[in-house]
Amino acid sequence: MHLIEAQALNGLALGAILALVALGLTIVFGLLGFVNFAHGALFMVGAYAGWVAYSNTNNFFFALLASLIITFVVGLVIERVLIRLYYQRPKQDQILVTYGLAIVLVEIVRAIFTGQTRLLSTPSWASGVVQIAGIYYPQYRVAVIAISAITLAVIYLVLFRTRIGLIVRAGIDDDVIVNILGINVNRTFLLVFALGAAIAGVSGIVDAPLLAVNPDMGTDILVQCFVVIVIGGVGSFFGAILGGLIAGEIVSLTTAFAPDYASVMLYIAMAIVLIWRPQGLLGVEGRA
Amino acid sequence: MSGTRRVLFGLLGMAAFLVLFPFVLQAAGGGIALASRILVLALFGLGVDLIFGFTGLLSFGQAAFYGVGGFIAGALLISGAVHSTVLALVIGTLAASLAGAIIGALSLRQVGVYFAMLTLAFSQMFYFLDISPLRNYTGGENGLPGVPRASVLGLHFTSNMQSYVFIAIVYFLAFALMWLIVRSSFGHVLRAILENPERAAASGHDVYRYKLVAFTIAAGYAGLAGGLLGLFQGYLPPDMFTIDTSGQIIVIEVIGGPGTLVGPLIGSIVWIYLSQVLQNFSAVAGLWKLLLGFVFVVLITGFRTGIAGGVLNAMRQMSRKREPLPAGSGE
Repeated sequence: MHLIEAQALNGLALGAILALVALGLTIVFGLLGFVNFAHGALFMVGAYAGWVAYSNTNNFFFALLASLIITFVVGLVIERVLIRLYYQRPKQDQILVTYGLAIVLVEIVRAIFTGQTRLLSTPSWASGVVQIAGIYYPQYRVAVIAISAITLAVIYLVLFRTRIGLIVRAGIDDDVIVNILGINVNRTFLLVFALGAAIAGVSGIVDAPLLAVNPDMGTDILVQCFVVIVIGGVGSFFGAILGGLIAGEIVSLTTAFAPDYASVMLYIAMAIVLIWRPQGLLGVEGRA
Repeated sequence: MSGTRRVLFGLLGMAAFLVLFPFVLQAAGGGIALASRILVLALFGLGVDLIFGFTGLLSFGQAAFYGVGGFIAGALLISGAVHSTVLALVIGTLAASLAGAIIGALSLRQVGVYFAMLTLAFSQMFYFLDISPLRNYTGGENGLPGVPRASVLGLHFTSNMQSYVFIAIVYFLAFALMWLIVRSSFGHVLRAILENPERAAASGHDVYRYKLVAFTIAAGYAGLAGGLLGLFQGYLPPDMFTIDTSGQIIVIEVIGGPGTLVGPLIGSIVWIYLSQVLQNFSAVAGLWKLLLGFVFVVLITGFRTGIAGGVLNAMRQMSRKREPLPAGSGE
């Protein structure tokens, strides 16, 4: 038995997904200054968009593309219609409106697709097993790690190696000065919000074969994202990745030893980080 | 009208409302059990009003205290360890307050967005404790059946109507107590924190401690409401602990009107009545929550004061008197 090794790999797959979803949340928080409580709902919308595309075309890449485009467009619409009314409003209102938005998104999906749980089979090219360090491991979970790593790398390159990324990072530091410099920050806000939504959506379809697709699937992931960014540090790119991997390993390794405590352990870890380092492992003090 | 007279008239009005409420609700197609359910949520919401409406703390973790209070009071009564309904409710309330003090002490180190995320995450921990490691005591996913109905000083509140009477009495006392709390000097400091935490701190108030006390009281109210839920429906469901429960009570608070004390009652009536009535129309049966979510978003965007706040503002405009809200400064 190679239970520990297998669970460590599972933790890596779970952590990679969590890192990706949390990154979408943390980028939006970093620039726009508020936590999107509809992030989990957008994850769910992405999973449904991908499920529809996948069951019609049987092609996983089309599913990925569908999730990406649909959630990006949904993000654009939400930002223009609702979110931009809230940039100058109190933090509480921003949280409340995104929470309300999450209810609306979940209930719209439930009205269209019913509450029935949908199962997504793993794509044929990744349905086998691979041998890693002497254990047989499902290929799809390896694919999840790879897809997440590639997506994270692309986001890194965009944020840290392009002009638009420079503007976004400058906006995170001080959006007023960026605006004064003659750059349209509003357009950047729109783009970043939609990007955050699309990251959630893509994570949704990538995670879908490992989860059950239903309208409420976003709730758990949203809370886990909060834990990830509290551990890693709100607004920090590498904090989201580190926090995601730590959270994934905590859940998976605790499952190996004490399955009853797998989820509880995650929150205990969060409490410890909070007491010992309130700004998160890689967070900057005074950010929140 | 002087302040004290207004409170007396207000409490008299509330008592009259509680007497008439089940009959009005029955005439409107609801049952007595529905009235009990509404009052339980309204009681739960009183605590939320104290921390959100009066202090500005948006907690997404109130479900944890609702569940702790409910399950501890319920488990004590079911096991026979405690025979007195009142004692079981008191112990449940104190346990919920203790949980509130601990979670509050940790979460209140942060403000705003961070605070909301932390309360949500900690309450999720209670949910997982309930369904997994503690399932031998809580029934796990099945919940805890067999909570006996209230019985106090030889009076047995067994029928639905008697059960309503018991809950209405507890709600009335809790409402009066909360009104006293928000009118006290403690309540005034909370409002100062709501308006401007820095100024409150600069005036020499220990903001953290005030918030912690308010949070602990709110947790106690949640725990008491949880205990009452068990008493009247005879069963404690594990979903008392879920995020949906925390979210529901926030929606109720915002729809009803924060900082008004009657807001949570109005919000509960809207939420419960709408969910029941719309379910009778098959065409829209599944859509009640979508409708409520939509109303919620519109209210936050355009009508931040909720229904109670809107009505009170309109009344003030009509009487053209500058009477403050009962929640507003009590001078």
